[in-house]
Amino acid sequence: MRNWLIGAGAPVLLLVAWWFLSESSLDPFFPPLRTIVGRFQELWLFEHFQSDVLLSLGNLFLGFAIAAFAGIAIGFVTALVPPVRWMVDPLIHFLRGIPPVALVPIFISLIGFGTQMRVTSIALAALFPTMIATVDGIRGVGNDLMDVARVYRLTRRERVLNILLPAAAPQIFSGLQVSLQVAFIVMIASEMLGSSQGIGAMTLLAQQSFMTADMWAGILLLGVIGFLVNVLFSLLRRKVLSWYIGSRRMARAA
Amino acid sequence: MSIRQAPSLSTRNRKSAMAQQPETRINATTPRLDVAHLAKSYGSGEKSHAVIEDLTFTVDAGEVVCIVGPSGVGKTTLLKCLAGLHPASSGRAAIDGRPISGPPREMALVFQDYNRSLMPWLTVRKNLVLPLRHLKLPAAELKERCDSALAAVGLSHADNQYSWQLSGGMQQRVAIARALAYRPEILIMDEPFASVDAQTRFDLEDLCLKIRKDFNMTILVVTHDIDEAVYLADRVVVLGSKPARVLKIVGVDLPAPRDQITTRSLPEFARQRTEVLSLIKRPV
Amino acid sequence: MKGSIRPLTFSALGIAAVLVIWQVLAEAKVAGNALPPATTVFSTLATILGTATFWSSLGATIGIALLALALSAVAGVILGLLVGTFETVRFATLAVLEFLKPVPPIVILPLAVLVLGPTGEMSLFLVVFGCLLPIVMQTVDGVQSTDPVARDTARSYGMREPEILARVVLPSAMPYIGTAMRVAAPAALVVTVVAGLLGGGPGLGQSIYQAQAAGDYASLYGMVIVLGVLGLLFQGATRLAERRVLHWHESYREVMP
Repeated sequence: MRNWLIGAGAPVLLLVAWWFLSESSLDPFFPPLRTIVGRFQELWLFEHFQSDVLLSLGNLFLGFAIAAFAGIAIGFVTALVPPVRWMVDPLIHFLRGIPPVALVPIFISLIGFGTQMRVTSIALAALFPTMIATVDGIRGVGNDLMDVARVYRLTRRERVLNILLPAAAPQIFSGLQVSLQVAFIVMIASEMLGSSQGIGAMTLLAQQSFMTADMWAGILLLGVIGFLVNVLFSLLRRKVLSWYIGSRRMARAA
Repeated sequence: MSIRQAPSLSTRNRKSAMAQQPETRINATTPRLDVAHLAKSYGSGEKSHAVIEDLTFTVDAGEVVCIVGPSGVGKTTLLKCLAGLHPASSGRAAIDGRPISGPPREMALVFQDYNRSLMPWLTVRKNLVLPLRHLKLPAAELKERCDSALAAVGLSHADNQYSWQLSGGMQQRVAIARALAYRPEILIMDEPFASVDAQTRFDLEDLCLKIRKDFNMTILVVTHDIDEAVYLADRVVVLGSKPARVLKIVGVDLPAPRDQITTRSLPEFARQRTEVLSLIKRPV
Repeated sequence: MKGSIRPLTFSALGIAAVLVIWQVLAEAKVAGNALPPATTVFSTLATILGTATFWSSLGATIGIALLALALSAVAGVILGLLVGTFETVRFATLAVLEFLKPVPPIVILPLAVLVLGPTGEMSLFLVVFGCLLPIVMQTVDGVQSTDPVARDTARSYGMREPEILARVVLPSAMPYIGTAMRVAAPAALVVTVVAGLLGGGPGLGQSIYQAQAAGDYASLYGMVIVLGVLGLLFQGATRLAERRVLHWHESYREVMP
């Protein structure tokens, strides 16, 4: 009980301290929290909500969705067809060595500064973690499970959808989580590098024009989005993988 | 469901639960399962390594046959050849005279590791349903098959639980129920009771005999436990190592119905197990 | 032997196919000048490798990443031991740590640039911001996973708390710290590049930005290839180091995801 009070109290205390300590701040870098919150409301709720916030989020989800589906699909083909695996293995390893953000300038030069470029950058950069995790997950599926599938004469479709996909799901979800983080980073980077729209662009523009409170408001919004997106994903994971989480807990208790 | 008129080899009345294959003529000289000069080796050329060399035995319809032998002798490899998971290197394995080239429809396999052969993401009932999906059965029959299989293993109450929420013995019952719902004619079990405690083991052995009686199934059990083999089997195939070969096929002549206490205390039981044990222990 | 040649052949085929497709697409000018031919990129890369500027930005990138990694490791382990040992501290920091964990350093990049300017310190700050938290949290997990029996045994032998911390708790947290470092090392490189690319910090990130801004696409592609190789080296080196340092640990294999 005491611990939960501390747990809930500490961040509140921190915010209150920030509020009062910054109250009369004249430091151009650290404006009063009151001003930041004010600008937050004016900017994001709801003047730029549709033009920038929804745009950014839309790009993020579209890019991530493409990456997720393509990553899992390509991962399956790669894992199940050895020649494909041998062919793409070195390329994949090389491509994942490249920092995802470094691909953004290339896409800008190829596709330009539009929404298309941003979604492409997000999707391609976020593809690899999911794909690699899918390959690892499928290759880790036990031989016994596949023997069961063969003895009971499951169809190829059933083997893929009802055995391999769920059996590899825990690892696929780890990959998806990394992909989501990469997608979020690339969303911001693609806006900062080549756009006048979106939360990242607004935040960087505010910084460059010394509108410090606006910049802080942007940082807060991005932080909250990063946090919330992760929470949503964790909830989804907990729902889809409840069997896995439960069986792991059971195994540990034994 | 039609009752197949199979010219019976054994005295038992075969009322096969499924399989209407009038084209497969079974005559008095065709055993259900026929293994002749079966050999299996891995690798090729000079590095080839023989696991099984020249195995010959048969299993008749409605019979329970146990295969015993020291661990590492290649019993699991043998079962995988019979289940059509691995091709044999030479010799033949046949069901009703048909050579086995892939997993046969009339066969189900119960694996040693229940926790690696059940789908942990499915509930008990859905584990049973999975092998039946592609049969496209009417919903009522699907339900009836699962209900009766779960009832047979005494797990009717657990159908909505995940397998990992159950004890080891119960998980192996789920694996057996999955095989039963599939309605095989031949049930093959690989060390099915090796990883459960002694009491559960007795219960599962009796479950095995009950299944044979109720479903009139042909059952082949691999085990390293000699007492278990003698208790369950009509005939015991004793394997020697290495590579695996048949030392002797011992006919078990114990009265039915068998019972854990009375059967195991019969002098005949002791004589049979001594015979099998001395075959395995004999220096080769 | 025969078995290992086939995969290698396919790998070589795959790489060759990509290079050929690249070359053909570039010669056909499908993307105008934005897609230079592979041959041009590699010859430009060879020229770049001969310049002192390249080696100094490469040095800056590696230097910043490694220094930040070292700082994060030391600070992260100390903070992690602190947070993991004292329950009050753990609960007090829980909410803040959980909130900050999924927030990547790029979010505070504008602030860092505003306060520190486009400098090496700015890059250093961002990398530490990105690497510190995962190390802290893994260390906390490691401390929490210490076998209570081992702890009680040490106490019954009369060991004092600081000694228990150093002799019992820290070694058993090592695999967790190792995992954190393996994840943090490539991340450090990535953040250094981001700080250069978006914030103007020194290093290869800045070079990429300049190449793109100047429309020098051959250099742009060359730099990205260099980064890919560098990334692989970082991943390989950390894997090797982790194996060297932690091979003795029995739970090491279990911790591997």
